[in-house]
Amino acid sequence: MAALLASVFMASIAVIAVVAVFLEGQLAPLVSSLETSAHFRTLILQVSGALFVTALLLLAAVFFAVGRFIGRPVSGVVAAMKAFAETGTAQALPAESGPKEIRELAAAFSSFAGRVEEAHKHDMEISRVKSDFISTAAHQLRTPLTGIRWALEALEREPLTEEQKALVASAVEKSRQLVAVVGTLLDISSIESGKYKYEFAPVALVSLAEEVVRDFAALAGKSQVSLTFEKSDEAGAVVRADRERIRWVLNNLVENAIRYTPAGGAVRVTTETAPGRAYIRVRDTGIGIKPEDRGNIFERFYRAPNAIAKENGGNGLGLYIARTIATDHGGDLNFEANEAGLGTVFTLSLPLAS
Amino acid sequence: MPDTKFILVVEDDPVLKNLLGHTLAGKYQTLYASDGNEALALLEANKPVLVLLDLMLPTMDGFAVLQSIRARTDELKNVPIIVVSNLGADTDIQKAKSLGANDYLIKAEVAIEEIVAKIESVLGSIAAPAPAA
Repeated sequence: MAALLASVFMASIAVIAVVAVFLEGQLAPLVSSLETSAHFRTLILQVSGALFVTALLLLAAVFFAVGRFIGRPVSGVVAAMKAFAETGTAQALPAESGPKEIRELAAAFSSFAGRVEEAHKHDMEISRVKSDFISTAAHQLRTPLTGIRWALEALEREPLTEEQKALVASAVEKSRQLVAVVGTLLDISSIESGKYKYEFAPVALVSLAEEVVRDFAALAGKSQVSLTFEKSDEAGAVVRADRERIRWVLNNLVENAIRYTPAGGAVRVTTETAPGRAYIRVRDTGIGIKPEDRGNIFERFYRAPNAIAKENGGNGLGLYIARTIATDHGGDLNFEANEAGLGTVFTLSLPLAS
Repeated sequence: MPDTKFILVVEDDPVLKNLLGHTLAGKYQTLYASDGNEALALLEANKPVLVLLDLMLPTMDGFAVLQSIRARTDELKNVPIIVVSNLGADTDIQKAKSLGANDYLIKAEVAIEEIVAKIESVLGSIAAPAPAA
């Protein structure tokens, strides 16, 4: 706004100057042919000069008035809008001043902000009720589940026929899956209600990645997938993170990568540092994510059809939680198709510890 | 019977209590309480070497039991307590630990054998000289 006013101002000066020069150029020769030329010429110059000064003063006055009566009230409204965008709380607008249009703009903004605030409160309330409900339901599920699980585990230790053993093993496996789903639901309700507490500390990313890769060596071996960690040159990346939560995220990414990679494939974990952030990438040569699923895989409970076909164990919550944890760290979790052809690359970014 | 070492199991769900009993039987002498008051009475009378403590209990909950045990002035003040509960929020775990729980297991998330392993490890660690409080 100020820049615009300044350029209008400069342009006006330029126009006046051009007019003055024109006047002098065109009129002066005309007048100079007359007897009283010298007198007229001086007069014309004086008039032009006076006009020029008056125009300058007028422009300065306009400039000041625009700043005082439009610029200032508008900045007041803008400041209130910015504060609202940052804090989410509508602030009282500065005393009503300025032209009617600006007062109307301020009033319209106030009522808009009020509406937004109200809708936000309503959303928060719904979200809280939903989280409380999930949390209560999950706790109610846990007690009977504990009984089923423990009873099956006790039964497993009894002398059983092979057929009975297989039946009990299936029931044990499914009961554990159910326990895991309940645990995940509780995690989600606690993340969404803001009860998830993070303990941020400097974490050496490379050693954490090494630990995770080591932990999955057995699963990778069983699935006949090669799992490697490639240390980068700048091995010293220290991120600001909650070590256990980030370990959980990495576990999830590596486990998914192994799970969705056919025998003979490879999963590669690498780290990388950029100014202010560190990246950890998990590359697989697995079944990949189809273009039509790409917008959905971070949605709660979403499972891509090719993922369901391959493996029935997932619940569609891991990536949602993983991304939430990443963004709660001030980082992010993204993916792209593996440039080497098959598979996917997941990239977790985290802020470096300062 | 001066050498009998008791483990006190505080659990209000009868099925879970039986399942714990089924697994612990033959390994330990066990006593069972199904609410906080009963737990404190049994503790006083039998001086167990370890307590498995549920948190959601009728009348007096596990947090109150923890507080009451840690507020004692006799040697029972330091009895190892492993919380075994289906409450599993960070806040619950932190609260229990700050009240003096030695360990915290989320019932549904552990195999019953893991509870036995935890008992062994806690009993093992207190057999060694305890560090100054």
